[in-house]
Amino acid sequence: MSDNIFLKRLFQAYYQEKQKEIPAVSSLESREFGFIPWEKQIMIRHIGFESQKGLLSYLIDRGPKHVYSSGSLYLQPEAQHMENKQYQGCDFIVDIDVDHFYTPCKNKHDFWYCNNCEAKGTGMQEKCPKCEKSKITKLNWICDKCLDVAKNEIKKLVYDFLIPDFGTDEKDMRIAFSGHRGYHLKVESEELRKLNSDERREIVDYLTGENISFEVLGLREKSLMIHGLSKENIGWSQKIIKKIEEILCKPKTEIGNILLDKNIFGFNSNLVTSFLNYKNDFLELISKGEINVWAIEGFGLSNWKRFLRGIVKLIGIELDEPVSIDIHRLIRYPGSLHGKTGFKVQEIELNKLDDFNPLDEPDDKLDPIVFNSKNITQKLEIVERALPVTKIKGSKYGPYVQGEKIEVPHHVAVFLLCKEVAKTI
Amino acid sequence: MSVSTDLLKHYPWLPSLQIYYSNIASKDPTAFIEEAFLKYPNGELEHRISKIFKAAFNNLEEIKDYKADELNIYLYLIVKILLYVLNNKPISNRVANTYSKQIYKELIEENDDANLYDICKDLKIKFDFLDPPIEYGVNLNKEKREILKTSFKIYFTDYLKLAANLHDEYRKLLHNALSEGYVYVQKKDLIRLLQEHVRRKLIVEEIKDENNLEKFRKDLLKIREFKELYGNILNNWELKKEDFEYSFKIGYKEGSDISNNFPPCIQDILRRIQEGMNIVHTERLFLVFFLHALNYPTENIIEIFSNLPDFDRKKTKYQVEFAKKKEYTPHSCSTLKSLNICKAKESKDKICLEGYYSKKLDMQKKLSHPLFYIQLKQYRNSNKNKANKTKIEKENER
Repeated sequence: MSDNIFLKRLFQAYYQEKQKEIPAVSSLESREFGFIPWEKQIMIRHIGFESQKGLLSYLIDRGPKHVYSSGSLYLQPEAQHMENKQYQGCDFIVDIDVDHFYTPCKNKHDFWYCNNCEAKGTGMQEKCPKCEKSKITKLNWICDKCLDVAKNEIKKLVYDFLIPDFGTDEKDMRIAFSGHRGYHLKVESEELRKLNSDERREIVDYLTGENISFEVLGLREKSLMIHGLSKENIGWSQKIIKKIEEILCKPKTEIGNILLDKNIFGFNSNLVTSFLNYKNDFLELISKGEINVWAIEGFGLSNWKRFLRGIVKLIGIELDEPVSIDIHRLIRYPGSLHGKTGFKVQEIELNKLDDFNPLDEPDDKLDPIVFNSKNITQKLEIVERALPVTKIKGSKYGPYVQGEKIEVPHHVAVFLLCKEVAKTI
Repeated sequence: MSVSTDLLKHYPWLPSLQIYYSNIASKDPTAFIEEAFLKYPNGELEHRISKIFKAAFNNLEEIKDYKADELNIYLYLIVKILLYVLNNKPISNRVANTYSKQIYKELIEENDDANLYDICKDLKIKFDFLDPPIEYGVNLNKEKREILKTSFKIYFTDYLKLAANLHDEYRKLLHNALSEGYVYVQKKDLIRLLQEHVRRKLIVEEIKDENNLEKFRKDLLKIREFKELYGNILNNWELKKEDFEYSFKIGYKEGSDISNNFPPCIQDILRRIQEGMNIVHTERLFLVFFLHALNYPTENIIEIFSNLPDFDRKKTKYQVEFAKKKEYTPHSCSTLKSLNICKAKESKDKICLEGYYSKKLDMQKKLSHPLFYIQLKQYRNSNKNKANKTKIEKENER
């Protein structure tokens, strides 16, 4: 039996056994469904179900590798062409996936190697730094640190933007762990459903800080003096000043490290020293807000803009823009299994988000690792060049190298098989 | 809720028109127009409608003698029907612009905020009227610190619907005061958004059923007054359209370089990109829209942007493709001037500064659009080539 058939049967068994626990999304009958089967890498789209019963039968019958439903509602979700579906509106969806942004832990667990020049390394890489070709193979891994970063982005999204700025009602928000490297948040409100892609782009810009103009917010040079932003201006100006205050209240060494960080500000040491010398005066000035002339030695308009861009980066949400803008996207169905991990797409209530730990969740009802087993083990052979340490359910597995034969608990075996980095022996 | 009839006479584009004038709404448009001309037999209706079109064709900022009377309701409806049967995008855009500007003026002159409140309610805009006005920020750009106060806040989805087509940077949601779902707006900004709503109401969507339109037009042209009005408008347009029609296509042929024919505004942006300098958002948009209008391959456009210091291939590709899909028109010369992108003076470019001589109108004309610049340059170059060719041929004959 091939590993894919084995995994398919496992998924079928899961859907059979847990069918009562799989939630029905709102307006299920108006949504389009999509599936990726185990047999080949194709998306089977344009499927509609009149009730959840039909969906569950499909899942039990076929045990697909990936299950998706649309954020959009249609009168004819099963129509083959978009123009015939009779679009009715689309939920606002935010996808936060650590694949798309930098986390320091990636330097430890994400590997790449170049298929052109054989160079290899760790961390996020789009092309080979040696031969500059894009022919690289990447192995992206997960750890509790990067999943925490993703969770923090969701918390920022909810508590810094959706509730205070957009007035989003908690009952309209649906949050889910994606089953792999991130979280989804869906806002189901009639008003948001009516927005077109252009209008959604405006919301995305607001959430990310993309396309912000500091000049429009008030930054300008006049008579050789820099006039900065004001905390009194509701919106992004206020967010920026509050963030600056927060940073300036940190110890000097910490501020220095943030300002030197190439992924955020990337200032040189001279500018950092100058900034730190003036930091108390600057903090007092922006906190009082009576005058807004920003004067720090070495900081002209361009350096202030660079500084503000860094601040915006710290405030903005690291979301996958096309997902929020595209009104015909499909997203993972809650309660379904992720074919690249074998983990469940787990819905989480906002008040339980803080304690939620996808790789070691104590609450059985919220645990995405559905094949958890302490007693059953499986023998595998590693087929990938090298694997980093995997920490699941409090235990560490690996690192492993190609050809290594291992015996691991069932849930770890399912994870490694879904990742296609090992085979059964 | 519906508004007063006086308000409807002043602003006949309000949804309540359908309630108060349900007798009109239920009528066949041909019968309605016949009746309208019978109701106003002294030519005033035709006169006032002509004024709107003339103002639009002459780029005027206002429609003189705009009156809030019952005739204004008939006038509005007939203008809408005319735009439909004319089925001409430049005309529709110009009339929509002029008419909506007049509405802006009328609304600005409203002394009673209650009218503005009624209008927003009638349009089903979710908003709050704040009494007393509340503070939401400060304006530090003025000599004296100015506290920003307003009585109006609009729900953000309605704000987005109204503002999405306005590309001014300061209208972007992230540059505005947003709190608990509402965007704080100054009265004049709210009115500007209403102006945009009116403008969009008058824009004629692409008509797919040409046969039906033709039949409808034929029926309407049987009405003498309508036929005269329609004919006059088209005659006026013939005299003016050269100023506005710049939606021609210049094909991009792989390997052939037409960049020498680019206007100085685009040349300047390209030069700065080549020099690795950053360009602002509006310049990026303009460049993309411009190159799309010339059918430049998307990949080539992305390559141009790859010189920018903050280049991100994935994002650029998405945005360039998005702009192509939306078929945005590049900015006109007047917009480029207001955005400080126009380089006519700095470059001392003769075509930009002096325009061209129109044989048809027997007069010197100013350039209105950068795409026109290319057409003109290509035309002149082809004439030059023809002249050179003839010269060589003549010399060979000798």
